Amino acid sequence: MSNSSIFSLTNIDFSYPSENIFEDFNLTIQPGEKIVIKGESGSGKTTLFRLLLGFETPDNGTISFKGSDYSMKITHRLRKEVTWLPQDLNLGSGKTSDLIDFIFEFQANKDDKPERPEIVETLEKMGLSGDTMESTFSDLSTGQRQRVGLATCFLLKRDVILLDEPTSALDLESKKKIAELLLKNDRTVVSTSHDPWWVDRCDRVIDLNNGS
Amino acid sequence: MDILDLSWWQLGIGFFILIIPAWILWRYKTGLNKRLGIATVRMTLQLLFVGYYLEYLFELDNAWLNAAWIMVMVLVADFATIDRSELNRKRSLVIPIFLATFFGIIVIDMFFLEAVIQLPKFLSAQYTIPITGMVLGNCLRSNVIGINAFYHSLNEHKERYRFYLCCGATRNEAVFPFFRDALKKSANPTLASMATIGLVSLPGMMTGQILSGSSPLIAIKYQIMIMLAIFSGTVLSVYLGIRLSNQFVFNENDVLDDTILKK
Repeated sequence: MSNSSIFSLTNIDFSYPSENIFEDFNLTIQPGEKIVIKGESGSGKTTLFRLLLGFETPDNGTISFKGSDYSMKITHRLRKEVTWLPQDLNLGSGKTSDLIDFIFEFQANKDDKPERPEIVETLEKMGLSGDTMESTFSDLSTGQRQRVGLATCFLLKRDVILLDEPTSALDLESKKKIAELLLKNDRTVVSTSHDPWWVDRCDRVIDLNNGS
Repeated sequence: MDILDLSWWQLGIGFFILIIPAWILWRYKTGLNKRLGIATVRMTLQLLFVGYYLEYLFELDNAWLNAAWIMVMVLVADFATIDRSELNRKRSLVIPIFLATFFGIIVIDMFFLEAVIQLPKFLSAQYTIPITGMVLGNCLRSNVIGINAFYHSLNEHKERYRFYLCCGATRNEAVFPFFRDALKKSANPTLASMATIGLVSLPGMMTGQILSGSSPLIAIKYQIMIMLAIFSGTVLSVYLGIRLSNQFVFNENDVLDDTILKK
């Protein structure tokens, strides 16, 4: 285990009551890497993210974040340094601007609350218009919701981003914009994807079907 | 004003009115008649028991005995809240919801009975038992709506909750939208009935007082007070119920223990 790694999973065993997901699984993620995780449904992609985010605990083995083994304290620190975007973001039926503002009312984000022009600019980089701010979030399409979620991740200015199928609801033009923003910088990006276009653009591919 | 007593056989005749709803429910094959029968028998037996018990309680009029009866009512309400919220009777819920309901009731009782009405005798049975019962019955209904909405919505939308956590939220910050929706859902029925009371409906307590010979003006004053008590008690007990149970149903990584939910 390298102390300079962002995440390190060592000899991980994990199973649900009905199925075994990981057996002696190892993975190290270095700063700045752009990793994509492939695998069929049920191969453990979602579980891997849950383990990384502290929502599941392995049966055996250790997980560390920036050299510190997981504990309550580390998990809470991690969630202030790492952000995660689910595949189909559902933030309820409020106005999009209110839902973004809500996230910046958290104690951890209060000091970094962006001004409205910065939010609009970030949305525009994602191929959305500033009017999206006034729309009801639940009325947006899946692709628009996904891009609002990505914009929020950018506004949070985290160094590590975990993305669940980030291009699943995007057209080619939007994918290019997102790839440009996510993959051409020093951020560590860990994603799950079935999209060959996205997989080709990442540095490293983890295939959970054969554990490579 | 003389009170027109109701004889047992007159009460028995009253049951015949059930033939009408029973026929309608049977005609449309609702399958509710068995439940109607059980509910009617339960209501009659429970009220008969309470009636005889209250006669005894009023005769003794002992503050300790009245307090013990309130504890029994809160305990029954506690289990009923958990069962009707489709949650499991786990210690992490039974104790916090009992405490929440109990504190909700105590605060309201002390304020209205001792500070507002200023009972000549501490926890006098004639006032304490009916007012506590009315507030508690409404607390139960609101707790069921609020606690059910909170935990089932949190489980159904766990990705939203987890997304907030991964945006740096503390657990209390991440559950805030679920808490707000649960409070809104639980407060709405009481607010609606406050807005239409007197116009659309004459409430049970007021009707009972008038039937037993009180002046309508006295009955109205009590009714306004009881509505204030009910609204305050319900909001307080839902708030405390969710707040206290939240301390015990998440693990150290803020993951909800989903074994509290009935599958």
